[in-house]
Amino acid sequence: MTGKTLLFAVTGIGLFFALPHMLADFQLFQVCLIAVTALIALGLTVVTGLAGQVSLAQAAFVGIGGYGAAILATRWGVPLWAGIPLSGIVAAMAGFVLGQVTLRVSGHYLALATMAVTAIVQLAFIHMDDITGGAAGMPVPSFEIGGRALTSGGELYYVIVPTTAVLFLIVGNIIRSRFGRAFAATRQSEIAVAAMGVDVLRYKALAFAGSAFLGAVGGGLLAPLASYLDPMQFGIPQSIYYMAIAVVGGLRSPAGAIIGAVVFILIPEFLQAFQSYLGLVFALLLLGFIVLWPNGLSGLIFRRPGARWWGGAAR
Amino acid sequence: MTAPLLSIQDIGVRFGGIVALDGINIDVEPGAIHAIIGPNGAGKSTLINVVTGIYTAGQGSVTFAGQTLNRLKPHDICRLGIARTFQNTELFGEMTALENVMIGAHRSGGYGPFVAATHGFGFAAAESRMRAEAMDLLELVGIAEDAAMLAGALPFGKQRRLELARALATRPRMLLLDEPAAGLRAAEIEALNNILLDLRARRGLTILLIDHVMALVLKISDRVTVLNFGRKIAEGLPAEVRANPDVIKAYLGERAANAIAS
Ligand SMILES: Nc1ncnc2c1ncn2[C@@H]1O[C@H](COP(=O)(O)OP(=O)(O)OP(=O)(O)O)[C@@H](O)[C@H]1O
Ligand SMILES: [Mg+2]
Repeated sequence: MTGKTLLFAVTGIGLFFALPHMLADFQLFQVCLIAVTALIALGLTVVTGLAGQVSLAQAAFVGIGGYGAAILATRWGVPLWAGIPLSGIVAAMAGFVLGQVTLRVSGHYLALATMAVTAIVQLAFIHMDDITGGAAGMPVPSFEIGGRALTSGGELYYVIVPTTAVLFLIVGNIIRSRFGRAFAATRQSEIAVAAMGVDVLRYKALAFAGSAFLGAVGGGLLAPLASYLDPMQFGIPQSIYYMAIAVVGGLRSPAGAIIGAVVFILIPEFLQAFQSYLGLVFALLLLGFIVLWPNGLSGLIFRRPGARWWGGAAR
Repeated sequence: MTAPLLSIQDIGVRFGGIVALDGINIDVEPGAIHAIIGPNGAGKSTLINVVTGIYTAGQGSVTFAGQTLNRLKPHDICRLGIARTFQNTELFGEMTALENVMIGAHRSGGYGPFVAATHGFGFAAAESRMRAEAMDLLELVGIAEDAAMLAGALPFGKQRRLELARALATRPRMLLLDEPAAGLRAAEIEALNNILLDLRARRGLTILLIDHVMALVLKISDRVTVLNFGRKIAEGLPAEVRANPDVIKAYLGERAANAIAS
């Protein structure tokens, strides 16, 4: 461990324990919301930013994570701390299967195909009403650990933030490994990477599986935070919303997912007066970044070529 | 006679109405430098793309070291020991030259997903070994000083050499090179020829080399096959092929051929 990473770790852990004393419960709730949103966007960093496969299925995986954990808890009494990773694994398998369509479709058609997946999964939530509560939705049981129920933002903070941090570290490590290079190479030339012995279809499917896992774990953690699930939270607009977060933050690095989440969660706070125009603000942000700064905010901030992992890492 | 390492048998490929390859038979001996030459559109690249599994032949078969390649995917064919370069270069443009070569070494990386996720035991050692190996290959092709350059920013001649280094990183038994000399200056071609001769001598590599300019490849090739309009029109030692009237005709046109013959 270099001195720099040690400093980074100490600062991070210090900040983690200091924040609950500095912020009000409502603000800790927002920190949790930012963390969960960043985790969901990180899935898009992996599948779209790194492996180059456009996915508008993220809201579906978020929904599978949320509903999956909630249903496991209410029907079979599986606690959320076990149900969330379980739903994540189920979503990963679904993501791997979805990844097989990349054999036949790519680019715009892949965007449409994944969008269709979101629509289908949302319809399933609506119509499987005996287990999901249908259009009316269902309440989420509380997150219990060691006989204690965590309900407020300040309590869930101790579960959500460390989980998010660990998953970000793992993804960052994988990006800076031979597997991360193989994903990035797949994005840049499928024909060349196949000639290097890399099974392109398998890697694209693995990228989808990874994004699905991150989306579902994010969805699973979001559920107790939101405390109520309904199918309208997991539609095509939400898939686009998560993509907008990842794009504005910067698709090419995990830091982008965090920056995007901060911007999109905090903007509504500053624009209280413009609540009804929020959709427009987000749409304009997305459009502006795609046209003017395709590398997103993280690309603007970390221009130094040496800043691999936090800057242009996932190239 | 030894058994050929690569055997192309009766390969035929059509694109709509175009017959790109028409019943081609070529045997490449182990350890040989075998050239395939022919004018533009002769079907040379198509042949490499069939061997490496990018195109599927309508007829015929390809065997490598006794194994049929017909139904295999490109990555499987690479894993059997066939590496290639591309005529119009297919580098990973947003990665450095060194990283490009490290992708070639991906399969021999020596650590699994768990170690990758944790950067745990053995990670640093394996990574630095991959890096050193890639650096050696950049050295071999003479672009070590450009290791940190983005591949997309390299001049064309260096991109070609980088493709060669990247192909070598897969640890192949056989190299398929699609016009490696195109766009290179005379001195660069000389250097390339020496590298290829050296690879054969030191690593026992078998090399199938494509070019459409005869003079370049005849110097280092043991055997030459000439394609024209998807057919094999001549095959033999470089000197034999050079003197073949059909070959001269294909390259220079009918009138020039008559002029030379008379
Ligand atoms: N993917 C493809 N689709 C349609 N036609 C193709 C395709 N690939 C090759 N062809 C055609 O097949 C014929 C042989 O092409 P090929 O690229 O193999 O020639 P070549 O000998 O490599 O020529 P060059 O020296 O120009 O590279 C040409 O007529 C070409 O237009
Ligand atoms: Mg060609």
